Amino acid sequence: MRDWQAFVRARLHVPDLTPAREARIIREVASQLEDFYRDAIARGATEPEADAHAGGQITDWARLARDVRRADWPHVQPRVDRVVTALEAGPAAKRGGGLVAAYLVRDVRYTIRQLLRAPGFTTVALVTLALGIGATTAVFSVVDGVLLRPLPYPEPDALVRVHEVLPQLGLFSVAPANFFDWRSQNTVFDRLAAYTSDSETLVGEDGPERIQGMQVSWDLFPTLRAAPAIGTVFTQEDDRPGGNRVVILSHGLWLRRFGGNPEVVGASVTLSGAPTTIVGVMPADFYFPVRSTEFWRPLALDPANATRGGHFLGVVARMKPRVTVQQAEVNMRTLAERLARQYPADSAGESARVVALQEQVVGAIRPALLMLFAAVGVVVLIVCANVANLLLVRASVREKEMAIRAALGASQRRLVVQVLSESLVLALVGGGLGVLLGYLAIGPIKTLSAGSVPRVADVGLDGRVLAFAAVASMLTGLLFGLAPAWQATRTGVSAVLKQGGRSSSTSGSRWVRSGLLVAEVALSIVLLTGATLLLRSFAKVTTVDPGFSSDRVLAFQVSLPDVAYTKDPQRLAFFDALLTGLESQAGIESAGLVQTLPMRGDYRLSFGFPSRPPYQPGQEPSAYYRSISPHYFEALSIPVVRGRAFTPQDSASSQPVSIVDAAFARTYFPGENPVGQQLRIDSGSGKVTTIVGVVGDVRYTGLDVTAGPTMYAPYGQDVFSTTWVVVRSKGAPAAESGTAREVLHHLDASLPAYSMSPLATIVSDSVGQRRFSMLLLSVFALVALFLAAVGLYGVVAYSVSLRTREIGLRMAIGARPGDVLGMVVGGGMKLALAGVVLGSSAAVLLSRLVQTMLFDVSPSDPASYALTAATLLVVAAVACYVPAHRAMRVDPMVALQTE
Amino acid sequence: MFNPELKKGSIEMLVLSLVEARPRHGYDIGKLIEARSGGRLTFALPTLYPTLLRLESRGWLKGRWVEKPGERDRCFYRLTAQGRRILADRREEWRTYVAAVNDVLGQT
Repeated sequence: MRDWQAFVRARLHVPDLTPAREARIIREVASQLEDFYRDAIARGATEPEADAHAGGQITDWARLARDVRRADWPHVQPRVDRVVTALEAGPAAKRGGGLVAAYLVRDVRYTIRQLLRAPGFTTVALVTLALGIGATTAVFSVVDGVLLRPLPYPEPDALVRVHEVLPQLGLFSVAPANFFDWRSQNTVFDRLAAYTSDSETLVGEDGPERIQGMQVSWDLFPTLRAAPAIGTVFTQEDDRPGGNRVVILSHGLWLRRFGGNPEVVGASVTLSGAPTTIVGVMPADFYFPVRSTEFWRPLALDPANATRGGHFLGVVARMKPRVTVQQAEVNMRTLAERLARQYPADSAGESARVVALQEQVVGAIRPALLMLFAAVGVVVLIVCANVANLLLVRASVREKEMAIRAALGASQRRLVVQVLSESLVLALVGGGLGVLLGYLAIGPIKTLSAGSVPRVADVGLDGRVLAFAAVASMLTGLLFGLAPAWQATRTGVSAVLKQGGRSSSTSGSRWVRSGLLVAEVALSIVLLTGATLLLRSFAKVTTVDPGFSSDRVLAFQVSLPDVAYTKDPQRLAFFDALLTGLESQAGIESAGLVQTLPMRGDYRLSFGFPSRPPYQPGQEPSAYYRSISPHYFEALSIPVVRGRAFTPQDSASSQPVSIVDAAFARTYFPGENPVGQQLRIDSGSGKVTTIVGVVGDVRYTGLDVTAGPTMYAPYGQDVFSTTWVVVRSKGAPAAESGTAREVLHHLDASLPAYSMSPLATIVSDSVGQRRFSMLLLSVFALVALFLAAVGLYGVVAYSVSLRTREIGLRMAIGARPGDVLGMVVGGGMKLALAGVVLGSSAAVLLSRLVQTMLFDVSPSDPASYALTAATLLVVAAVACYVPAHRAMRVDPMVALQTE
Repeated sequence: MFNPELKKGSIEMLVLSLVEARPRHGYDIGKLIEARSGGRLTFALPTLYPTLLRLESRGWLKGRWVEKPGERDRCFYRLTAQGRRILADRREEWRTYVAAVNDVLGQT
């Protein structure tokens, strides 16, 4: 008789059944075929006849296999199990790797089922992780977009900014004559280009518009290696005095004002009254130096006639191959210092500094971003500690399960893989949610940081950020999975089983949990302290007296084109008419002019005193300089403390006068009355003025910068063609914007009033970067506080659940609810207090790192530390009280009966 | 001999009824159907065996390997409690159906 099982096995292949099940089916079918055979023999058939009879019972094996598979559906394996089966059976299993992979796949399924069965635990763990990963993702996307991503020019690492270094003033713009000498004499740069900001009035069908752009030397585009999308860049011919009036448009301006029409190249537009030919349009992704730059015009300086005393150029250069920034700096310093010796009258003591362009753009924001990134790292550590604690609590509840599995033969390695798989599943799902959260957070972060963080428009959620989030999630999972995995290796089988199923909490694991909690509280304290210090700094900055009042003040700029307003008297007449017109409006109290508004730029001039010995060239002191109209002080409520304000009589034909501020008086006239003294302001004319008044100090460059000595001159004696107008209104300043525009339009319909904004907004924007760091760090600190509270609650609640019997016993022998409350809260608060002490000590050491971001607050400010510690302890007390309150209501009888 | 559709509709009921009194193995069930029907009803193994598996999957039968002295191991199927209820329903349904069909046929 043939081997029927072998016969069937060779023919019947039921896909997707477990090997055991398939074996049973083969055995049964073979058994029946054997019955057919034996019956045939019994009826007198010969062996070959019987064999043919039995073998002929099944003709279509494939169909039988299909019918069996369909009928035996409970035993058909899902695909994932088949993978496991294959891995377990495959050659990889013998090397160990396949087996681990097989366990992992199976464990992941098991884990997902387990997690779904504990929705409370899973929700808390996932929310915690999502917060951590979400914050990390959002901040990393900013760090990546702003700090890490290269600038959008070919070979950006070779691009540098070159500055002059002026004695007393430090880094400074470059004088044109120096630029020309640098360009011809340096040995380290392929190209060196200069630029200065420019704004022009573009008159079109929809009225005049002020557009911001740059005047650039012709070689700027070759330096950046930027090519236009349409047309050409400038030629050397364009960039000379009296050269062609040409302009290159940004992609944005081209779309906005010219409808993206490629025919505009070669066409003429009117820029500030003069016809100008459009020669090119740059591509959409090009910008220089900032995104808001909408056009570029030739600088058209005359090398033969260039000034060495006026510093107003930015210089960008491309280094030759294999030249480092340090080498470039050495070369440029030598060159600049040689020029300084050559031209002592203008350049005495000057030097140069070379800074990588990327560093130049983002250097200022780097400390703040790195601090935020570090803060996010701390949040992630807290998240890890928190989730590890949750897992430990869970692990001790499941100790019995683990012990049974160990008793049934699961190896330690097997159990560790299972615990780790749980951590990884949590980390990945939490990470996915976190990325979603981070994606949602990027929008608000970009809004918040617009204007105060450079390049923030480049920030987005892309492949790099996603890869970072994935790696961060995995590392987080491994980190918080370590403690529970370690715990799993220590589970003693007999110890657990002997306890009759009561979950135990070994002293070792309790120590780990307490340690994690203390660490968590300590880390939260570090963040909270940092946030408090920044918050207090911010509060101090925003409440500092700037020396002027921005309430009800509207500010805007007006620029008179040189083509239409060629002479000073014309400009003066225009501004006089504008101010008179504004002040005659019912809603306007007073109106003034100033060439540089508070918080908007720096304008300094050197000066001397005719009655004192002259300063050495290069040693002259300098002070802020403001050319103002008579009602400027009134409009900004700047007090006149001595002498008088300017009057309309202080004109070009009258005696030159000036006003200084109290800081100037303190510095240069200590113990003297400056009024009546002579002051020479080096504004070009070198006029000697008589000081007629002293006014209060004004913080011109920023709320966080102490007011420096300031000189004022009447605009009648030094008029600027581009100036700020400040209008103090009787009501809300924005309400007067229409009035102001009408007055201007009435005087000259071709002039736009631009950069219009309430002064209060301008002041508030000036602390935007501070607000950005402060708000973000505060959000992280609050997240940390929340997580610490959740962690504390979890640990205390768990310890209460373990001690239910003990608490019941205590109450049975007479403990009052208050005693129980004190015992439970006390236990939690001991941990919180340890964390607070540890965290505060760490914060003292770390607070030095934020010192540069503080204002008028010491890094060891006791109030901040006390406030932080108090906040955390209050939150901790609440987190402990909730479970303690539950413990207090334990019914002794019930508690004692539970076991 | 009979319309295959007719056979297919009744095979489950036949199998369930044959294991009602005592557990039987697959070959035995096939032979019994043939014997009791006087050879008029036969089900080949490729039809019968998947039916057994299907009834087992539904929980109406339970298969168990049994060793009997002097015999080969065989998988014996017995009726479960659920199978017993199903069989009673099917029997009742069948009787009512046959009676109804007969009534209709008898009147022609």
